[in-house]
Amino acid sequence: MILLERSLIYFVIATYLFITLAPLLWVLSTSFKPNSEAISFPPQFLPDAPTMDNYVFVLTDPKLAISLLNSLVVSLASTGLSVAVSALAGYAFARFEFRAKNLLISFILGLFMIPVVINIIPLYIMLANIGLLNSLIALVLTFQILIIPLNIFLLKNYFETIPKELEEAALIDGCSKLHAFLHVIVPISMPGFLIAAILSFRFSWNEFVLPVVLSNRPDAMVFQVALYQFISLYRIDWGYLTAGINIALVPVVVLMLFFQKKMIRGLTLGAVRG
Amino acid sequence: MLQSKLYLQPYLLIVPSLAILVAFLLFPLIWNVYLALHDVSLTTILGDWKYVGLKNFASLLQDGDFHTSLYVSLIFVGGSVALQFFIGMIVAVVLNQQIRGSNTFRALFIIPWTVSAVITGFSFKFIFNDSFGIVNYGLGQIGLGPVSWLSDPGTVVWSLIVANMWHGTPFTIIFLTAGLFSINPVVYEAARIDGATKFKSFLYITLPLLRPFVIINLILITMWSVNFFDLILVMTNGGPLFSSTTSSLFMYRQAFEFGLLSKGATVGFILIAMNLVLAYSYMRLLRSQDKSIEIKHS
Repeated sequence: MILLERSLIYFVIATYLFITLAPLLWVLSTSFKPNSEAISFPPQFLPDAPTMDNYVFVLTDPKLAISLLNSLVVSLASTGLSVAVSALAGYAFARFEFRAKNLLISFILGLFMIPVVINIIPLYIMLANIGLLNSLIALVLTFQILIIPLNIFLLKNYFETIPKELEEAALIDGCSKLHAFLHVIVPISMPGFLIAAILSFRFSWNEFVLPVVLSNRPDAMVFQVALYQFISLYRIDWGYLTAGINIALVPVVVLMLFFQKKMIRGLTLGAVRG
Repeated sequence: MLQSKLYLQPYLLIVPSLAILVAFLLFPLIWNVYLALHDVSLTTILGDWKYVGLKNFASLLQDGDFHTSLYVSLIFVGGSVALQFFIGMIVAVVLNQQIRGSNTFRALFIIPWTVSAVITGFSFKFIFNDSFGIVNYGLGQIGLGPVSWLSDPGTVVWSLIVANMWHGTPFTIIFLTAGLFSINPVVYEAARIDGATKFKSFLYITLPLLRPFVIINLILITMWSVNFFDLILVMTNGGPLFSSTTSSLFMYRQAFEFGLLSKGATVGFILIAMNLVLAYSYMRLLRSQDKSIEIKHS
């Protein structure tokens, strides 16, 4: 009985592990094959003569290289901006008592429930009218709606775990509350900021719907969109595309595996956004 | 003076975040209604917009492709939610048995959820390719004929559901794992002493205690599937014709493939209504379960 149960358990785990990893490993293997071999039939499980050509192509093609750089710039900028403004708001919610506090918290939670997808058409028209289409700034600003609410709640919770006595000591010494925030709270909140930053980076790096609508001119394209526009729209070179997939995948998977436990809780919160 | 400055301080700290959220999230949402009542297309985007009343709604209701999209949405959402929940529940329960390396398995299982929809879409487009895809090769090896996974209007939605299952199930695994962690093992011990089998204690103890998590999980993955379209855009572009165009993708295609921004906005309005119903039920259930979840979750 116990044996049967054990084998059933390991059967389920092995099956699901296969489902999870097989597509990724297949794409990984394909990325080291020349384009012709990538679509050979019957398929070749491992490349005959592994080559880095596909990676070299993706990383040196001017349009793709620019888009990779754009992705990096946009992701880092939107991470920085969102952590900064969310930290201020999170601090206000964690440490101040004020009249509209609960109302504002529910308001932000409510905004969090709005699916961003529904906003793409009004956002497109709005940005077209103020001349901000096809700009990285528009992406940094619009990406904020994906991550600010999540970061506010993450950081609010983090600040609440810090004993109040720490700031009170600083306040008694004559610091202003803002001063106490900058010089006492910020330095010891680095672990919280790190989690918020990694989650923000992941959301920005993976985002596709907003940039494909708001910014698809070659010079202002991000990598996820470039994969869609350049490699796949007319004729797919699967060798290049699989290499591109792995390049897009590496930063998030590495961060995820590295900070697994803390990420999971944050991502579960963030899932409301989907 | 100083007093009022102190009084304003928390508000000033919140203003930057709130301004961004109102400008790019709340305002567009409301403005969408205005757009649905006017005639805006890619060519008139900077010009004058004519007020057309409910004409957009009327033409949408008569549009056969829109009806198709509602039907496709129904299958896509229903299939995705059922598969993700069923598989997610099994894996979460299995991982919760005392087995060696369950943390490592959890870390590996979450990977598909951390990669983007675009990457998921391309990977499965490759795997499901009619002529050189590895799935058809596998079927051939066991003597089954090739299936047109992405080009047959009858199967294409199911291929999308499988890809969405791969991408989305990890969330259910993790969410339900959090729920399972919250159950005190003592209750199982008591049931075991009373002679209950594992299956019985799952049915009569685990499931009822897991109920709040199950409900919230179901609502979240439903909302998510209703709005999710980047995966489909990448895999099939909604085709062949409209056979894999869900309502949210229909909105995108009307606006950015055919340039009919107002028609898209009208679909958006209908999607907002669907989401409001889901969000409302979510909030209500969350509120009634608030206390228990908060404690268990942290």
